[in-house]
Amino acid sequence: MKDSCSAVSRLLEKYFDQEVTDNERLLVEGHLPDCPDCRNELRSMEELRTLMKFPVEEATRKEDFPWVWQKIEREVRRAQEKVTWWQSLRSRLDVSPLFKRKVWIPAAATFVVLLFITAQIILKKTPSYLEASVVEYVESQTDNVMVYQSEKPDVTVIWLFEGPEREQTTT
Amino acid sequence: MAIRGTGEGTDYNVKRAALLLTAFFIVSFFSLPTAFAQVHVRMRVILASNTGQDIDPSLRDVHKELGSLFSFTSYRLVRDEGLNLSLNQPARIIGRTGKAFLEATLVGQHKNVAELRLRVVREGTEILNTQVRLFSGRTVIVGGPRHGEGVVIYALYGNF
Repeated sequence: MKDSCSAVSRLLEKYFDQEVTDNERLLVEGHLPDCPDCRNELRSMEELRTLMKFPVEEATRKEDFPWVWQKIEREVRRAQEKVTWWQSLRSRLDVSPLFKRKVWIPAAATFVVLLFITAQIILKKTPSYLEASVVEYVESQTDNVMVYQSEKPDVTVIWLFEGPEREQTTT
Repeated sequence: MAIRGTGEGTDYNVKRAALLLTAFFIVSFFSLPTAFAQVHVRMRVILASNTGQDIDPSLRDVHKELGSLFSFTSYRLVRDEGLNLSLNQPARIIGRTGKAFLEATLVGQHKNVAELRLRVVREGTEILNTQVRLFSGRTVIVGGPRHGEGVVIYALYGNF
């Protein structure tokens, strides 16, 4: 019996905090009706909790939490003011977060594409149209066509030779 | 205390924005030259014949050139118009009788060269279809269709 009381008294605090297993709870509840010492100990714990509960609740009600936040903000502001202009500038110019985010991949791709396009424009040879034919194609289903290139004056002539039928109808 | 973005989501948005920007630059770059392509062409319609010796006073500047190219004795200016050709927008010059017209369409432009598609249509029949490169400051002549006792000459002068 004494052993049992000793074992239960070790579990009593856990029982009070509802942290015991089902078996432990059954053990404690089976022991309490027969043990006035353990019952007294449990009652003492309940009384202590009641005694503590009211003062803590009252203190929480009276505590001015907005005032606490004001104090925290004031401290944060004071900490920021301590940063020198050089530190501030460095933090603004710091590009390391960009590298961490891998923004440079699309940025580099964009730069390469633009560079490629620019290079194409700069290095592109303008086709020499002076060497090419002025007349790309000419077709007539009704008449014969002559293309004549005069150097002086610099004129290109496309001349239609109408057939005899057309001439007769026109005249 | 640090304020952090949503990691991968931010990266994805940045990449997407960069890709869209790149695509936008490429598309706008290639569309710009064609979007604003417009050339000015002076078009003169001349009626040339061997009837009479009269030379239209307004053709004095080109009479020598015409004389070196053709053997007509009379040149009369029928129409003289400035055409502002836009890409793929056909412009028509209709002759005096209204039976024939020349249709000019700008199909391309490279610096001082305009690529023109020319069609001569008479009485609903296409009698000529050609594509020429017209250099700025130079002339392309399309001639030959008969009109009365003479022929019609279309002279296109590039001025751009």
